[in-house]
Amino acid sequence: MTTETPPRRFPVGTHPSADDPRILVHDDYEAFEPVPPYPPRTEREAEFYTLGEGELLLNVGPQHPSTHGVLRVVLKLEGERVVDIDPVLGYLHRGVEKLCENADYHQTISQVDPLEYISSLFCEWTPVLAYEKLLDVEVPRRAEYIRVLSAELNRIASHALFMGWFALDLGGLTPILYSFIERDEIVEMLAALTGQRMLFNYFRIGGVNGDLNHEFMSRLGDWMSRATTQIEANIGLLNENEILVRRAAGMGVMDAETALRWCMTGPNLRATGVPYDIRRAHPYSVYPELEFDIPTKTEGDSLARYLLRAEEIKQSLRIIDQCLERMPDGPIMAKLPRLLRPRPGRAWAAIEGPRGLYGVYAISDGTDQPFRLKIHDPSFLHLGAVGMLLPGNLLADTMAIMASLDPVMGGVDK
Amino acid sequence: MDRALKRRLESRFEPVLRGPIRQRHDQTEIRIGPGDVSEVLRTLHDEPEFDFKVLADLAGVDTGREMQAVYHLWSATTSDWLRVIAEGLPREDPRVPSVTFLWPGAEWMERETYDMFGIIFEGNRDLRRIYMPPDYTSFPLRKDFYLPDDSARSPGAGVRHVERTHSPAGAPADVRREVRS
Repeated sequence: MTTETPPRRFPVGTHPSADDPRILVHDDYEAFEPVPPYPPRTEREAEFYTLGEGELLLNVGPQHPSTHGVLRVVLKLEGERVVDIDPVLGYLHRGVEKLCENADYHQTISQVDPLEYISSLFCEWTPVLAYEKLLDVEVPRRAEYIRVLSAELNRIASHALFMGWFALDLGGLTPILYSFIERDEIVEMLAALTGQRMLFNYFRIGGVNGDLNHEFMSRLGDWMSRATTQIEANIGLLNENEILVRRAAGMGVMDAETALRWCMTGPNLRATGVPYDIRRAHPYSVYPELEFDIPTKTEGDSLARYLLRAEEIKQSLRIIDQCLERMPDGPIMAKLPRLLRPRPGRAWAAIEGPRGLYGVYAISDGTDQPFRLKIHDPSFLHLGAVGMLLPGNLLADTMAIMASLDPVMGGVDK
Repeated sequence: MDRALKRRLESRFEPVLRGPIRQRHDQTEIRIGPGDVSEVLRTLHDEPEFDFKVLADLAGVDTGREMQAVYHLWSATTSDWLRVIAEGLPREDPRVPSVTFLWPGAEWMERETYDMFGIIFEGNRDLRRIYMPPDYTSFPLRKDFYLPDDSARSPGAGVRHVERTHSPAGAPADVRREVRS
């Protein structure tokens, strides 16, 4: 094991910014020099790390509270305006796809759980759905309803947390305390159902792990009786806040064509006016039987993305109501052997998560392990579009834009 | 399964298709050569009869014999997901044209596929590693990249060991298993 570091491209005191007397440069730092210590690999990288007149590079992260995880972003600034950005990923990369290809079908469910740790049930749902297509399994209706019920609860928990986080990134501390009231109640509820607070590991191939129990139902009933008023109150706390509205309106504007070209999905795409929701565009599970609307906005800015999520919480509450009303009796698991060996084939499954399209592309070669498991995460693509949205904005507004896209680094880095 | 989509695809892409169009569940699958990727995807995106506006996913696949680039597309004109497989990329030098001219958002997906499989997307302006460190030399999701630790074991490992002893003698030695689909 060598401890040698690669030779620095800019030895101490020779960094381009060092000539500028207006800029204070600490010569003795080692950890994260914005300029990488190796020659550029592509033309784009060379172009980015070449400074023009009056430009400087600023390193943000990897440990920075408003990067929502372990993300490093190199910003190219001219004065206070952002010229270009270069996100550096990989600080959370665990190689989940490789681990899944070396685990059997049941084990992969717990491997994909921590990807989007804010909404793990959606991470579990996609591979489970893909395996059910590979195996041609019919899932019992009660299991489908329980899946929809728990997943919609998780969607509310995720959106509630987003709304607090968004305000926190803009400098408001109070809303996140209120959103954690909602999230904590839902998480405790799901813990009663699944046994875990965060990484639920609840869905199984062919059904779910456990049936609805008394504690879950009583907590849910308790919460549902006051959820609508409480969430309205939380939303009102922010929506009527002039500082937030003024800071978020008109930030990071995208039109529908651009959003589609940049592969945006979920609320970020619907905020531009495209009513694309997989639950309606390509229905799965029991969503065709349920009544709900797909809210859209046409502004395509940070405020629209924020308000849209507030609307979605209300739609999720509607879905939960219908699930409880229609919940059928019956088994919660299909009859399946313990060691699954699907016929050779390929399957793609996609669902609508809180952040957009989650997808899994699974290939079976007839053994008990997936031959290939490609996990598609929306946060990854949304973060990729930040480079298109930021240039021209002020440094202080970068977080208003990035936070409104709601990326979760666990999913970005896989 | 959308039979009408199958007929439309057949009549339009007859000369470039490799093998029959497969349909299973809610998916339609076509296979093309790497040279036809930009033309086929451009037609699928631009023509109103197809109108595939959403690129849902781009995945790399190493079958052991060859590399594949797999695109999943969504359109309002059909109830199916369309899977376009660019097959026959040689493992030594896999190359396929970039689709960033249609979907700029595919840039990061192509970077990821390059990082994991070494597939070169010609025309991508920023094709460098995205997850692994820049001085990394191998491609982790290739089938000849073994995991050295216990995570490579599973309850079925013994069963597969028996299978491998019965595998044909001509199978390549450097890959662990091959896809038979």
